[in-house]
Formats: sequence, C-alpha cells, structure tokens
Amino acid sequence: MERLTIAPTGRTPAIDFDFDGGVLRLSGESYPDDVATFFGPVFGALRGFLAEPGGPVRFDIELVYFNSSSAKALMNIFQMLEEAARGGRAVTVNWRFEDGDDAMREFGEDFSEDLEEVTFNLVEGGSGGAA
Amino acid sequence: MSFNLFDAEEKAIERAKALGERIALDAPECSAGFNELLEAFTRSYREQRRLVRFSDRLQAQLATLNQELERRRQEAETALARLQEAQEVLVQSEKLASLGALVAGVAHEINTPVGIAVSCASHLADATGKLKALTEQGGLGRNDFNRYLATATDTTALILANCERAAQLINSFKQVAVDRASAERRSFALDAYIQETLVSLQPRLRQGNHAVSVDCPPGLTVDGFPGALSQILTNLVMNSLQHGFEPGHEGRIAITVTQPDPDTVVLAYADDGRGIPAEIMPKVFDPFFTTRRGEGGSGLGLHVVHNLVVGPLKGGITVGGAPGQGALFTITFPRVAPGA
Repeated sequence: MERLTIAPTGRTPAIDFDFDGGVLRLSGESYPDDVATFFGPVFGALRGFLAEPGGPVRFDIELVYFNSSSAKALMNIFQMLEEAARGGRAVTVNWRFEDGDDAMREFGEDFSEDLEEVTFNLVEGGSGGAA
Repeated sequence: MSFNLFDAEEKAIERAKALGERIALDAPECSAGFNELLEAFTRSYREQRRLVRFSDRLQAQLATLNQELERRRQEAETALARLQEAQEVLVQSEKLASLGALVAGVAHEINTPVGIAVSCASHLADATGKLKALTEQGGLGRNDFNRYLATATDTTALILANCERAAQLINSFKQVAVDRASAERRSFALDAYIQETLVSLQPRLRQGNHAVSVDCPPGLTVDGFPGALSQILTNLVMNSLQHGFEPGHEGRIAITVTQPDPDTVVLAYADDGRGIPAEIMPKVFDPFFTTRRGEGGSGLGLHVVHNLVVGPLKGGITVGGAPGQGALFTITFPRVAPGA
C-alpha cells in the first residue's frame, strides 16, 4: 500500500505512514483550521490499511501541542487501532513527549484508558529511538 | 454533598445496565445490540469527560501564557521608558559636553589677545618704573623721555587692540552661549552668526590646519533658534574633525547657504574628508550609532544634529557624498520658523 506522507505546516502535524513497513508516524503541532480537511484523508488511508490483514503495527505519536478537535480525532484513531487489535493484529502506540512535559504525559495516560488490546507506551525524552 | 459534573450520565449508564440485565432475561435476541449501544454511550461519556478535562487544561495554559505575555509586555514597556529616559539624559549631556568644548575653544581664543595685553602692560609698567626712577634721581634726559613715549604709544596701541579683540570674542561667544543655553527664538543675521560660531571652533580647526569657507547671502536674516543652529554647526565640524579628516590631512570645509525661494533656507555643509560609506549612511543619525565606539565616540553627535533640525528648525536633513570625496549634509529649513 502506498506510503502516505504529509509535510508539516504551522498548524498541522507531519504525517509519515509507512504502511508496508508497518510504522506510522504523526508529529508536530495540530490545530488545523478545518479538522475534516486535514484528518479526512488520514482516516481514509488508515481505515483502508487496517481493513486488510497484515503484520504488526507501530504508531509513533510525538505531538507538542494539539487542540480539542485533534484530541477527538486522536481518540477516533485509537478506537480504530483498538478494533484492529481486538481483531488479532499486534498494535503498539508509542506516545512520545519531551522531558518534563507533564501535560503531554497526562494526556497520554488519559488516552490509554480506553485501550485494552493496544500496547500503549509512554515514552519520555522526545524522538530518541524513533526510526 | 459531593458534586459530580457527570452525575446524570453516570446514573443513565447505571439505569441502562439494569435495563440490559432485564433485556438479557426477557428479550435475549436484543441483548447484543443493546450492549453495543450501551458500550458506545459509555465510551462517548468517557471521551466527553476527557475532552472537558483536556479543554480546561488548554484554557488554563492559555490564561497562564496570557498573563506571562502581559507581564513581559509591561516589562518591555518599562524597559523602553527607562531606555528613552537614559537616551534623553545622554543627549542632554552630549549637548552640555559640546557647550563645554565651545567654552574651552573660546577661552583658548581669548587667551591670545589677553596674553599679549598682559605682557604689553607689564612692559609698559617696567618702562614707567624706570622713567619714575630716572625722574627721582634727576637724571631724566630727552632721549629717555622720547624712548618712553614711543614704548607707551606702541604698548597702549597693542593693549587697546588686543583688549578690543578679546571684548569682541567675548561678545560673540556670549551671544552663542546664551542662545545655546536659552533656546530662545530671535531674528539674526545668518552670515555673521555662522562666523561667530566658527570662532569658538578656531583652535580645533587651526590645530590640523583646516580651513572653513562660508558662502552666505549677505543680509539674509533668519527668524528662529540660533542656539540650535550653532549647535548643529559645531557638531558637524566636530564630526568632520573626528571622522572625516585623516591625521595629517589639511581639511577643507565649505558651508554654502542658498535660498531656493524667499521663505526657504538651504545650508549645505561639505567636507573633503573620507566620506561616509554607503552602507552606514542610513544609520548616521541613529542614536548611539558610532564607528568609534571605545575611542570616545558617543554616537550622539549627528543624532543631536538631526533632532535639532527636525525639532527647533522644523526642517529636514539629508546625508550624501561618496567615499573618498567627502561628506555632504544638506539642511533645509524655513527662514521664519513656524509656530511664532
């Protein structure tokens, strides 16, 4: 499946979904003017990818700032991942945040509440180890 | 009594769970569908809680940032006000310093005629003492008396001429100094006033053998602020001496006054020094801009010039010339200052 890359702008994050490698990355800031315009294609591609059977998936998220709409969009993505995991796929989410960013840590903890089958890791220290 | 923001939702979930148990017993074929709806509602309730918490947190961050922003804005404004005060103080002290230089220049100028007068007077006193002694001894001859008369005639003429010169210098300086200190408005003959200002600069100009030529329409009377004009000329000359002329260069300064129309005066000040590099030309009037920091340059000389031209003179100043061909300052101002 074709790789999806979207360059970051001041208001939207960088997207790099390497579907064949099973590594999805989302990083930067997210407060798009129109959530549907930005997240619509991202959701479409992700839904298509998860609908097909495949190997393990790793989702790296490294956000510095995001607004409420983006939070809801993230919860929708997590729900899609959780369903895939319930379907038997190995899914790992790495929630990365900068050293000492307690707010981002708590947001990550909040998001992980609803995830039972997805492995959710809180990774402090930014992009260390991300490929 | 504890308050729960989501009390209604939680009670609804409890009731739905109880209902689910009844449905499992009474209508088991509906049970799976019902549980799915219940799960969706429960998840939506958790997401709502999360979003509210999330949104509160963002707004708290925003409020903190706003406070921080306001605090910094106030800090910046305070700093700016302090800086402006300090700048004002420095500009004033620069004006005082150049008044001091003017006093020193005039003192030096006056020293020469006063010195000559003193030595002539002392010579005359000696000759008179000798004449008195000869008279008392009864040995005064015709030749002695004639010699004394010649000496007295020469010395008194010199004393008179030099005292007059000193008085003239003091007069012209007095006017310049009073104008400088008072910033009072009056009518004055431009040509003579330029010359009077240059007198106080003569010692500095003579040191390097620099020459100033003035070409001003005779009889041109300006109604305005002579003190400002005097300060402007002094600072321009000091600028030529400090920056324009290389050591050993015998500089030429030309001050040319023209009247494009009866109500406008254009004073062109040109030197034949090094000139001002094009890249620093836009900055020469900025406060504290100097190419001689650490060598006594305050960076205020031309700033004061600019202030006085646009301030009291209500005019404009441009800088020109080319590197190697000297600097040119052109000051245009109304002959009669507005706001009389």
